Amino acid sequence: MSVEHRFLVRELKLVLARPGDFFKPMWFLILVISMVPLALSPDSKLLGEIGSAMIWVATLLALLLNADQLFRDDFVDGVLEQWLFFNRPLFWLVILKLFCHWLFYVVPLILVTPLAGMMLSVPNDVMIALLVTLLLATPALTCFSALGAALTLGTARSGILGVLVMLPLFVPVIILAAGVLTRASDGSDILPLLALLGAFSIAAATLLPLAVGVALRLNIGGSS
Amino acid sequence: MICRIVLFRYTLRMLIKPKTLQFQNLTCVRDDRCLFADLSMTLPPGSLLRVAGPNGAGKTTLLRILSALHEPDSGTVQIGEVEDHLESRQEILYLGHKPQVCQDLSIMDNLMFLTEASQMKCAQAVQFVGLKGCEDSLVRELSQGQGRRCGLARLWCHEAPIWILDEPYTALDPWMVAILEDRINIHVGEGGVCVFTTHQNPTNLRFETLELARVS
Repeated sequence: MSVEHRFLVRELKLVLARPGDFFKPMWFLILVISMVPLALSPDSKLLGEIGSAMIWVATLLALLLNADQLFRDDFVDGVLEQWLFFNRPLFWLVILKLFCHWLFYVVPLILVTPLAGMMLSVPNDVMIALLVTLLLATPALTCFSALGAALTLGTARSGILGVLVMLPLFVPVIILAAGVLTRASDGSDILPLLALLGAFSIAAATLLPLAVGVALRLNIGGSS
Repeated sequence: MICRIVLFRYTLRMLIKPKTLQFQNLTCVRDDRCLFADLSMTLPPGSLLRVAGPNGAGKTTLLRILSALHEPDSGTVQIGEVEDHLESRQEILYLGHKPQVCQDLSIMDNLMFLTEASQMKCAQAVQFVGLKGCEDSLVRELSQGQGRRCGLARLWCHEAPIWILDEPYTALDPWMVAILEDRINIHVGEGGVCVFTTHQNPTNLRFETLELARVS
């Protein structure tokens, strides 16, 4: 079996072995969203206006729940240093890992957001725009949080530190996504902003794995 | 016992391509302390080298440098004819202090990920390290010694010619030590190179020793 095949099989088995990590972000999202009408007001018009932005922020925070775990278990067990002995460049393995993480943890979370949208009575066209922005923006967000996680690997139980380091990079993505959502509720053209978001994700997904690979190597070299 | 060892010898023929491991003028400085300086050695196929020395002498660091996990402050490591050490990394099997197996996966899943070997070969390797019957148990459900055996099972299904084993005897019972020593002897007999460290006394191995002193 090729390295890629083995890698994908293992990631899938890990997801199955850790159902808690799989459902945690979804529970978080649904809990936060169900609290909003209680804390704010059950007025469906008001909720429909702010709902999409609330869902976006809640999804972003839910994504960060698992971000710190990306490389930590493998690092602690010493499996990460075995990656270096595979006949593949490290950044390619990082791309595989991030793709699996996005596919197995992030996409299911995005698929739950329509439920949250129904709870806040978000209009259908805005909900579609929301789904598209999430799909386009999450690759970039995953890469950013991976860099944070890789950089703080050497510190024991860094928790929120990696997120904090990468937070400034999240800001442009959120601003663009918010722009799309405002335009979608006005009924104006959202394509230019979506294109920008997509470009952001493509740039992040091609360049950041190199940086993540270097950060991982630094941490592996420093531990004994 | 003897029966099993005979079984290993005849059922296990690995197709390794013998390679020479050599290092020149290796120097490593850590926290302003020189661990070792100007170490040079050539290990032709069939060499067995024990790196000895007290705690903190730099044994693990040397082994990690030989595995390209760590950069030396100066000096080079070369495997075979390839100049670039990083290029020839897949010729190395590195076994470190950490268990190097994922706690949430079964023994078979771990082996299938870490080696290129077929399922049959992995199952055979699991059998050789005495874990037959718990192929599908999660590593976290095993005892420490069994987890260690799972990490060692790679030695029976990996085709790398250069073995770097850091404290391979840790947490092993005398039976497993005998099996492991036998496996190392077979590997070296087939033209492999093995570098290892241990504080125990390997009774069944014939090796050269590289003594590292603790410099303060």
